[in-house]
Amino acid sequence: MANDPIQFTLNGKSVTLQTDPARLLLWVLRTDLELTGTKYGCGMGECGACTVLVDGQATRSCLTDLAAVRGKRVTTIEGLAEDGRPHPLQEAFDEHGGYQCGYCTSGMIMNAAGLLHAHPHPSRREIVEGMEGNLCRCGAHQRIVAAIESAATGTGRQP
Amino acid sequence: MFDRLRAFHRPATVAAALRLATAERRAGGRGAFVAGGTDLVVQGDGSLRWVVDLSLLPLRYVRRRGAGGGWTIGSTTTMADLERSAALRRFADGVLCDAAATAGSPQIRNRGTIGGNLANASPACDLAPPLLALDASAVIAGGAAGARKAAGGRRTVALERFFRGPGRPALNGGLLVEIVIPAPPVPRGGRAAWAFQKLGRLQSDIAVVNAAAGVIVGSDCRCRWARIAIGAAGPTPLRARRAEALLVGRPFDRDAAQAAAARAAGETRPVSDVRATADYRREMSRVLVGRALDECLERMGRDPWASW
Repeated sequence: MANDPIQFTLNGKSVTLQTDPARLLLWVLRTDLELTGTKYGCGMGECGACTVLVDGQATRSCLTDLAAVRGKRVTTIEGLAEDGRPHPLQEAFDEHGGYQCGYCTSGMIMNAAGLLHAHPHPSRREIVEGMEGNLCRCGAHQRIVAAIESAATGTGRQP
Repeated sequence: MFDRLRAFHRPATVAAALRLATAERRAGGRGAFVAGGTDLVVQGDGSLRWVVDLSLLPLRYVRRRGAGGGWTIGSTTTMADLERSAALRRFADGVLCDAAATAGSPQIRNRGTIGGNLANASPACDLAPPLLALDASAVIAGGAAGARKAAGGRRTVALERFFRGPGRPALNGGLLVEIVIPAPPVPRGGRAAWAFQKLGRLQSDIAVVNAAAGVIVGSDCRCRWARIAIGAAGPTPLRARRAEALLVGRPFDRDAAQAAAARAAGETRPVSDVRATADYRREMSRVLVGRALDECLERMGRDPWASW
């Protein structure tokens, strides 16, 4: 199958790839671009570990074909820090211990970034509902919610 | 996942999408249209030989239909678009926004579309009950039947007839391009209300049962028009027509609501599966329809416990 080049903006930089447009964004990020911060959890859109931002919206990269991000802005966990400073959500997760094994963390932080992008000042209820699509199998839920609450009330720097 | 894929198309127009699908079908092998991919990718059908991606089509919109109060919704409008639509929030008590907001997680709703939600023809489809309660229709472009019959190769199918069985939409190879919602027939001095209810362990779960109700009363407080629709309680989302008939012509009050809910449960044809038994689904159909009708009463400004 002949492939047209696919261009999109990844973490602020333009990338152009010549590959099958039906491939899933998750595997292109992890394999071709060596950005392994985006995790493969279930591969079925159930767990949220693979969440990235596409034009600021939290999106499951395991369900998103590469063609769908053509011309768009994709942000992964690697692109959240600015000028070497961690994003407020990253700082808050660290401060509150919003993880145990850490496997779900990048997806949690990216979904929370999408949530804060849409609602800069969510209520606790909105946080819980907004994070419903991200599973943590360790049990850090309370600390995850606390971290997002504290990031939301902090500087409010948005990706 | 798509190991046997021969072609992946991303056309910019509906005509091109239909042309590509027709050519691929002639060339042989199974294929599919894809919008958000939140069902197709999960289904992981490795036998697919071609995919036509719909995300460039100009079908992502929510528009007023003339001056009468109806709506048209493009089929690639995402669930998140519907959930956040300020215009739809003010229409029919926001029943479409409420239903869209329960379909999967935020990440799924950012990608999943109204067209995909309907075209998968899942009996548990969350948008079906509110759309059935709004007398919505599906506009289908192309397909074996459509090309010959209708002008411009488009045909309009009442949503009730769109669902022919689990996973069996009435598309005939055509493409679902638009949902049409007519203006509800609210008489002068009358009132209208809609409500959506869903039962699942979590909000984002696939529904054990979902239901929507719509009621219009005249200035005499008698019910003029009623719609009761239930999902995941039969092979397709269904209208409970005998329950609706029980409401029409009578004062709309809590007794009427409860009687209609009981009758609606009798009209379901649920199955037992991993999510619930048939008996539980039937009983929960009664509960959810009752709640939806109670909500309609409340939205009309009536105390659901009072008779009047």
